[in-house]
Amino acid sequence: MSQMQPGQVVPIGSPLYNRVVEFLYVEARLLDEIRLKEWGATLAEDLIYTAPLRETRPVSQMAASVVRTTQHYDDDWRSVMGRIMRLTGTKSAWAEDPPSRTRRLVTNIWVEQGDQTNEFLVRSNLLVTRSRFNFDELDLISGERRDVLRLADERFKLARREILLDQAVLGTPNLAIFL
Amino acid sequence: MLTPTSPTLADGTRIDDLVNLATREVQMRALSDPEIYELEMERIFGRIWVFLGHESEVPSSGDFIVRDLGSDSVIITRDKSGEVHVMLNMCTHRGMRVSTLDAGNTQIHTCIYHGWAFRPNGDFLGAPVEKEQMHGKIMSKQELGLKKARVKLYGGLIFATWNIDGPSFEEFLGDAKWYYDMLFQRSDRGLEVLGPPQRFTVRANWKAAGEQSAADGYHTLTLHRWLGEVGNYSKKGEGEGGGGDLSPEMYGSEVSSPHGHALRCIDLARKIRRLTGKDPALLSIEEKLMALPPAGMTADMVPQLKVHLSEGQLQALTWMPPQVGGIFPNVLFGFVYIPQADGTVVGSVTLHAYVPKGPDKLEFVNWILAEKDAPPELREKMRKQTTQLFGTSGMVEQDDSDTWPHMTLGAKGAQGRKMTLKYQAVYETGKPEGWPGPGIINEGFTKDDTQWHWWLYWRQLMLGDV
Repeated sequence: MSQMQPGQVVPIGSPLYNRVVEFLYVEARLLDEIRLKEWGATLAEDLIYTAPLRETRPVSQMAASVVRTTQHYDDDWRSVMGRIMRLTGTKSAWAEDPPSRTRRLVTNIWVEQGDQTNEFLVRSNLLVTRSRFNFDELDLISGERRDVLRLADERFKLARREILLDQAVLGTPNLAIFL
Repeated sequence: MLTPTSPTLADGTRIDDLVNLATREVQMRALSDPEIYELEMERIFGRIWVFLGHESEVPSSGDFIVRDLGSDSVIITRDKSGEVHVMLNMCTHRGMRVSTLDAGNTQIHTCIYHGWAFRPNGDFLGAPVEKEQMHGKIMSKQELGLKKARVKLYGGLIFATWNIDGPSFEEFLGDAKWYYDMLFQRSDRGLEVLGPPQRFTVRANWKAAGEQSAADGYHTLTLHRWLGEVGNYSKKGEGEGGGGDLSPEMYGSEVSSPHGHALRCIDLARKIRRLTGKDPALLSIEEKLMALPPAGMTADMVPQLKVHLSEGQLQALTWMPPQVGGIFPNVLFGFVYIPQADGTVVGSVTLHAYVPKGPDKLEFVNWILAEKDAPPELREKMRKQTTQLFGTSGMVEQDDSDTWPHMTLGAKGAQGRKMTLKYQAVYETGKPEGWPGPGIINEGFTKDDTQWHWWLYWRQLMLGDV
């Protein structure tokens, strides 16, 4: 591991790759099962957690379709922990009480060595199905996640997450769930 | 059936009967009926001034954004002379959308279907194969320009109306302008957006959100009760009672408007007392402004206020400033003071538009703004905190957007549609003593008057009685 260069691909199926996959699967389960405090414990204290806006732009201006000035999520560790506190520590976080039934499908996982020897750049595709109340519609939230996972004391922590949502106009009434 | 002169619904119900003036009730049916919705698109969104965006979204010549004016897509452009235009996003040839984008920059808007081309001011430039004159000879080029709306820029806010010869924007705002000026006309260089707006869909009638924007203070106590349970809002000064009680925040004054505009002017006394340790009644306007500058401003910017605002406005601004409210029919503004862990305050400035997308769907559009002159650190803080509390992932507003769909669904029920929304908590106070501002204003705990006036104007417009 120590000989790997920044940007070098961690081979699919390698022990390190499998550990990253394991982290993402466990994380998806914690979030689907609304074990938010346990999820919070997997976050690094220098976490940056963002979800850019998307705009419909021509193919010649693809980069402009990702907006990082104003965003849907613009959070750090402290504010994410604040969100968890609201959802778990109050009796009136109505946007998730009763909670959504969610299913996080995580695929296309791609791992590269980061700039630091203990950091890895992880890309994955995410599809969240979100069911509220007795509504027959499932809200679909799809996007790509760009994460930095940091290995410390033999455990991964999430140090950076950018969720690149696909919709310019989101089809769900809020982001009261984590992605 | 609906006709322009007879607002009677298919089942014989008259629009007049939806609003009970004596008992201050509105039939729930108003939140779901497709016929009512269609009439609103003509009689409300087709006639009055509608907020579309901010001119800082189109700063340069050729810049454009695409938005909705009621149920119609419009292109908002800036031309070479710097003028802002609003035009129907529909090619005059075969009705294709002229722009399929959200934003961009061009001096020629070319329809991708047959290639008809238009200038940023909407003028028709020409159609491909000039010598064949494919636009024909029946209509002149002047007649083939994009359909133009009438535009008004107010404090950088872009408003437009299809009612070309209708009331002026100033008439539309009426007495409420005195209060909006404290928000949008308070500084030398004005506000700007910190980026494009957030947009997301809520399966609710636009009025579920619209009537709430008309200064519904009361819902904060229950729907946003968490604010009193955890975090910085729950921390109170000495002798101010338990943290869980948000009701002290519900006192102030509320401005109603015969045109449905509404502002909640919330008393700053407790905040100023906490910050200064002094009785606000003993402080001068200057001292209060320096201790707690208006939301989104710094102490350095306070001299600008004196240039743009009157003595009376400064008095109101340091006593009970407008903090939340609406601009009829579908705009909410927030100029909010957010308490920080260290006891200081950071302002948050937002505008929302609740864009109708059918009887049971709205698009929530959320702009985050800051003063152009505000220092970068403050702008950064405002952007983050506003995003964390309001809009898509906002810990406050995520509860609102989860509520409105239930009202809309309920309004479809055979029994539910005959039930009513009630606005029976009536002010009996009047103006606070010595209040410097105009208009219909009442002091005390938040009541229903502002929202009731919102419905009265809705009714008036729907009856065509304007």
